[in-house]
Amino acid sequence: MQKRLTLRIAMVLAGALVFTFTAFAQGGRGGILAHNPANDNKPFDKHDLNGVWSRNGSPAGYGGGGTCRDCGDRGYSNDVPPLTPLGQKMFDANKPSYGRNLNSPDAAAHPEEAIGRRRAVPPANGTDPYQSCNPEGIPRALIYPDPIEFTVLKDRVLQQFEWGYQVRTIWTDGRAPVKDPDLPRWWGYATGKWEGDTFVVDTYGFDPRTWVDHYGYPHSADMHLQERYKRTYYDTLELSMTIDDPKVYTKPWVSQLKKFRLIDQPKTIEGWKGLIEDICAPIEDVEEFNKRIRDPAGGIVH
Amino acid sequence: MKAKFILPLLFVIALLMVGVPLSAHHGTGVSYDASKPVTLKGVVTEFRYANPHPQLFFDVTDEKGNVVHWSGEFYPNPAQLVQAGWGRKRSEAALTPGTQVTVTVAPARAGGPVGALLKLQNDKGEVIMGVAPGNANASPTPEPTK
Repeated sequence: MQKRLTLRIAMVLAGALVFTFTAFAQGGRGGILAHNPANDNKPFDKHDLNGVWSRNGSPAGYGGGGTCRDCGDRGYSNDVPPLTPLGQKMFDANKPSYGRNLNSPDAAAHPEEAIGRRRAVPPANGTDPYQSCNPEGIPRALIYPDPIEFTVLKDRVLQQFEWGYQVRTIWTDGRAPVKDPDLPRWWGYATGKWEGDTFVVDTYGFDPRTWVDHYGYPHSADMHLQERYKRTYYDTLELSMTIDDPKVYTKPWVSQLKKFRLIDQPKTIEGWKGLIEDICAPIEDVEEFNKRIRDPAGGIVH
Repeated sequence: MKAKFILPLLFVIALLMVGVPLSAHHGTGVSYDASKPVTLKGVVTEFRYANPHPQLFFDVTDEKGNVVHWSGEFYPNPAQLVQAGWGRKRSEAALTPGTQVTVTVAPARAGGPVGALLKLQNDKGEVIMGVAPGNANASPTPEPTK
């Protein structure tokens, strides 16, 4: 009798464990979907992108962490096109600290995942540009599951990212794209326009030091990124992206479909509503952390 | 018998649940091994509520009187902690130098007295800064590997 009870409890616990892993494997915490059925019939303007949008899986939409359950995962896409020789060299030089640990049994157990997701090294041994508080750039900042506030103005759309607390400008004043600027930018040169109910953003002129995503996928200064946004419900915004970068990838790389949830009630702390200032500063504090914690944890003693 | 079987299983589940955030905000979790938690009793020597992750420095004295200086990092960053109700003033007040603490860390894979904080209690048994397994306040940054 006691054995049966123990077995039942073990089965329940094992079930909970499997559920936990399944929820995370889907890229979310479970339970939170991009669209709330309660908003099925709530009216909205398909061309209105204003508001705080988040891919985060927590009800409040804040805090880093996992994505909402059907919002796509934390990478650009697991279906990576073959790299060019230069692209492979750039990929090998990038050493991320996200994903499964390099050479770990965990990494070996998931051959179905692209190698970029199975090569994490301690930050002390890594090359992530954000470790030095450099801008995350695009599309990496779009993928990270923290809030992004869209502000639509007459001649531009601003995207303010909570992660890094930085602003990107998408010009909608009809200007022509700058495809080969003398000075690349961390956030590129972005122009946007409406094609029916889809807001299409074309960006060129990227600083090649940013990564496509957490997993260290590279791009060149010649990358053309196209983002296609579509508001499908009052509370849901869909994004699909295409990277065209022949120097690095042998064919255009289409992203996994990403979804954002509208956060109606932005976080309020001490009576102050709005995005949190999640800023990587001052650099002195970061360097102190690196010297006293990050590096020793990675086997580097100063 | 039942407890002997279930309790370790619960502990493993709790560890796995907190294990997910180990690749936290700055990708820092890769450095630590949460499957080998170490619990230490120590005295706070310094606390830094700073980016990219707050840090706790504490001394641990062994039975022979030898003192080891430990360093520990919190998974969440200040922006995340403040959302969880642990702002700078409250956190610093809870961890003034001399505070006796019991700390469970995920030790660095590279070895040495450095780790990531899995559980943090004062001498009254109170959880500090929400750092406890399975507590959302402790790890508001669960980051799946995918």
